[in-house]
Amino acid sequence: MVTATSVTMADVSINLAEREQQLPPKEFREVVFDVNDLGVSYNGNQALQGVSLEIYRNFVTAFIGPSGCGKSTFIRCFNHLNALIPGAVVEGTILYHGEDLYGAHVDPVEVRKRIGMVFQKPNPFPKSIYDNVAFGPRVLGMTDGLDERVERALEQAALWDEVKDRLKASALSLSGGQQQRLCIARCLAVEPEVILMDEPASALDPIATTRIEDLMHDLKRDYTIVVVTHNMQQAARVADLTAFFSITRGAEGQRTGILVEYDATSKIFTQPFDKRTEDYVTGRFG
Amino acid sequence: MSRADSASFRGLRVSFQEELEALQANLQEESELVLRSLRGSLNALQQRDVELADEVIAFDDEVDERYLAIGQGIEQLLARQTPVAVDLRLVLAVLHINLGLERMADLCVTIAKLTKLTAELEHDATMVEAFEEMGSRAEEMTRVAMRSFAERDLAGAESLVDLDEMIDRANRRVVKHVLELGNDPELREWGLRMIIVSRCLERVGDHAVDIGEQTAYLVTGEFREFTDASRPDE
Amino acid sequence: MSVSAGRLRSDGPRGRWSGRAFYGFLLFSLVIGFSTLGALVLQVVLKGYKWVDLVLLFEPPSAEPLIAGAEPAILATIYLGVLLLLFTVPLGVGTAIYLEEYADRDRWYNRLLEVNIQNLAAVPSIVYGILGLAFLVRGIGLGRVLLAGAMILTLLVLPTVIIAAREAIRAVPDSIRQAAYALGATKWQVVWRQVLPAATPGIATGSILALSRGLGETAPLLLVGALTYVSFNPTILGEFTALPVQIYQWVARPQEEFRVLAASGIIVLLAILLTLNAFAIWLRNRYERRW
Repeated sequence: MVTATSVTMADVSINLAEREQQLPPKEFREVVFDVNDLGVSYNGNQALQGVSLEIYRNFVTAFIGPSGCGKSTFIRCFNHLNALIPGAVVEGTILYHGEDLYGAHVDPVEVRKRIGMVFQKPNPFPKSIYDNVAFGPRVLGMTDGLDERVERALEQAALWDEVKDRLKASALSLSGGQQQRLCIARCLAVEPEVILMDEPASALDPIATTRIEDLMHDLKRDYTIVVVTHNMQQAARVADLTAFFSITRGAEGQRTGILVEYDATSKIFTQPFDKRTEDYVTGRFG
Repeated sequence: MSRADSASFRGLRVSFQEELEALQANLQEESELVLRSLRGSLNALQQRDVELADEVIAFDDEVDERYLAIGQGIEQLLARQTPVAVDLRLVLAVLHINLGLERMADLCVTIAKLTKLTAELEHDATMVEAFEEMGSRAEEMTRVAMRSFAERDLAGAESLVDLDEMIDRANRRVVKHVLELGNDPELREWGLRMIIVSRCLERVGDHAVDIGEQTAYLVTGEFREFTDASRPDE
Repeated sequence: MSVSAGRLRSDGPRGRWSGRAFYGFLLFSLVIGFSTLGALVLQVVLKGYKWVDLVLLFEPPSAEPLIAGAEPAILATIYLGVLLLLFTVPLGVGTAIYLEEYADRDRWYNRLLEVNIQNLAAVPSIVYGILGLAFLVRGIGLGRVLLAGAMILTLLVLPTVIIAAREAIRAVPDSIRQAAYALGATKWQVVWRQVLPAATPGIATGSILALSRGLGETAPLLLVGALTYVSFNPTILGEFTALPVQIYQWVARPQEEFRVLAASGIIVLLAILLTLNAFAIWLRNRYERRW
């Protein structure tokens, strides 16, 4: 049995390939992202390395792992948000429907139009509810039928009934859970294909959290959802597929994130293949 | 892949409550299968029908399939939803009842096998009739147990203890009866084998009482036996 | 087992006395400062309030104190104020946006720029006056005109505006920018549609405070040619004087009446500056953001 400190990249890739994963059967899966040997470094510090997996359409995929394992870094690769951090270098490839996401002439704006993001702490703009949801369509030039667009987005985010009479009110007057749903509506308004969520419920109370989780269930009918969560039970409840990331230490003690196991959620939480995964989900980690 | 898995892979919304409902429905269906098995084994015993006995033995595969599926469903539910309070008690109760039903089916198979073994031997008609009575009582108890579970009926569950009395008494009388069967070796062999059949029927009754205890646990949250094993024999 | 009540009382008078002494010292400094200031202002107001009238506001200056007014000076101060706003706000805000949103901090020229802004804010105002004289009045031949005065004042208050604007822009949380980028906005859209609108109250407050500082400056204006005796209303490209200058030259006159006039001029100047500052504070309070 490999231990966390002695594992090499070769070990990991053999383990994953050797056994049969319980991925969705071929007739149900359509690859949206094909990640190959992805690595991210900040100013020379390797934060993430050797990640390969596929993200499938209309499924909820969760990334779990201890803090510092690079899952937030990884998710930000999908919508080029890492580019905002100076000194961030992305190696390896991510294919989005076969196209290289980091190809030479790829426009980050086009990428973000199709791949939206919801953040950990709700961050509505200091504007009215309507203007928040309308911001995306406006900057992208989708101004026809704006009212309907806003209404549809708010409905999909299960917020319309609560705010339909006060669209001009400030977004900051909403509760935390409502603000987060507003951020989801804002993201939906530009009609993305993929929704990335970075710990969307970690700043919310349990009832608001449940609503967000129910929302994820509903949204996956029309969208592909990737969610980072540090709450394992949330991943167990909500995700169809779960990827577990962990930290390896290099020769000089540098910490790098790696992908340990990626499988159907039911498998990860009943019979994980890798001992590191089992240690983490059972709470024996660290 | 379990039913829950494939449903979620198809993108359907399978909510936690629906999963619980499905699990219980599966359990009820399993009990129907067990009752069919029981009736089949009793009829085979009555009519000394070897073919029917074979069918009963083959039928056990279906019960086992159902048993495994429910077991997987429970595992999934526990792993993914981490149920608490009444939901947790429900899942644990389903787990126990599932086990009990599978054992009941196994006991029916044993009866069927013994029927085959003794088909050509001499038999005692009165005992055979008594077995029919015991068997019918066991059937009734199973129905009462499953219905009480479905309706969360504590009184119904507790009534199973009294219903079981009859089977227990009949079981104890069987040994006496076999000793009085006489010296015919065939009859004696049949009698010995029938003791096992009687024991099987008594165990079926006990499992039904266990199901009642699970209903009580679900409703009250208390782990308790309905009867005290150290109660002196009557 | 209960803790005896006696244990809860403080150990001794030590800590309390030094605390009180410090508090007393603070109050003392406050009182000294405010009472001195108060006394000065009171003295001026008492001296000049009787002469604050329409004559002061609407008549040109004259050798005769009874009919002397400060209209040209007041108008010039107003023109200077408007020009100052027009020049400093775009320049200051633009620089602040560049430094906060676009500049790469690792580049040497950006670091040089940052350091120098701090330095410029500390330069004495008379130096700006000399600068104006050398480059604007004589160098490019603008002459001793209002525009030159406005330009010099711009340079004087620009560092303050830049610093205030930078603070306001920095106060916009990064999460707002990230959310805007994630929706597909370009950098320009993020700055123009989110950062600037959110920073506007801070920028406005900073600009108005800088403006009021600029309007009170005398030295640079003197050097750039605010003439001592102007009896006609100013134009942008014409000769001019400003209220502080007008006050200065009134004080210099021998007659006692002119001193009184100076006092009344000070009252007008103070009134203008206080109004501006009060407006800035009101603006800040009204639009204060809770993130």
